[in-house]
Amino acid sequence: MSTLAEPLKKGLIKSLHILLLLIKIVIPVSCLVAVLDHLGIIESIAHYFTPAMSFFGLPGEASIALLLGFFVNFYAAFGVIAAFTPEPHQITILAVMIGICHELPIESVICSYTGLRIPFSVALRILTALAAGILLNLAYSLVIGG
Amino acid sequence: MEILLLIINTALSTLTGIGRIALILVPVIILIEMARHYKIIEKITGKIKSPLAFLTLPQEAAFPLLGGMFFGIVLGSALIIDYAKEGYLKKRDLLLIGIFLSISHSVIEDTVIFSIFGANPLVLIVTRTILAVIITRGAAAIIDRFFLNEADVKPCKTGNQEKH
Repeated sequence: MSTLAEPLKKGLIKSLHILLLLIKIVIPVSCLVAVLDHLGIIESIAHYFTPAMSFFGLPGEASIALLLGFFVNFYAAFGVIAAFTPEPHQITILAVMIGICHELPIESVICSYTGLRIPFSVALRILTALAAGILLNLAYSLVIGG
Repeated sequence: MEILLLIINTALSTLTGIGRIALILVPVIILIEMARHYKIIEKITGKIKSPLAFLTLPQEAAFPLLGGMFFGIVLGSALIIDYAKEGYLKKRDLLLIGIFLSISHSVIEDTVIFSIFGANPLVLIVTRTILAVIITRGAAAIIDRFFLNEADVKPCKTGNQEKH
């Protein structure tokens, strides 16, 4: 019995930890984004990034999610996604890009223990994420028919 | 006042969203912990010889690779450091595992969380894994071609030295 209770307890604690993290990060970020949007600041940032984001088939606002995901963590990016509700395939593209490249400051240090130098893993992951975004956008526009 | 209302509204709707996430997240995380507890990874490491051979990695790489891929980069790195100390893996292998894991790690947890937000889980896992495999294989080819003569990349085991 105790063998089953142990992973159960561990799993509960861990999921509580993740939920707490979500609450702590996603709510402030989505509130901040909502306020910035209300003041028209998001619109001007989004406008600036619209040409770059079009490579990935994403709206300009996605640039904020990408930057937060890359350099903070993907929970912060959810705050933006929650505030903007892009189309399903756009969420998938964003998720793949952020899935490949997220939390760079922390994870590249962890990765460096394997002998992978920090600048190398940062460059590798950013480039891979951008390439994945472009490829997926191409694939989606072929499937959906753009 | 208007802004305060906006903040409260956003906070409340985000909180209900997180509540919905909890319904899926908690059982999945418990399942992952169960899999870890019953050492599922150890049981399947023997069965991935051909993918490992494609990545030009030895059998010893299976555990850190799968562990990191399914349970997160922290566990993967911890296993890698452990293996490195005991000398199971060459420096080249460690580097390749690092490259693979930096692109594809904790795929189950990440994918579950992303898919609750509306992403397609299949596309997510397949794209990440394929990219990780291609890039790791490419890196292996580059390392073997240009850096193989460095002492720390040489095979530790006896035999097959200086064949030309």
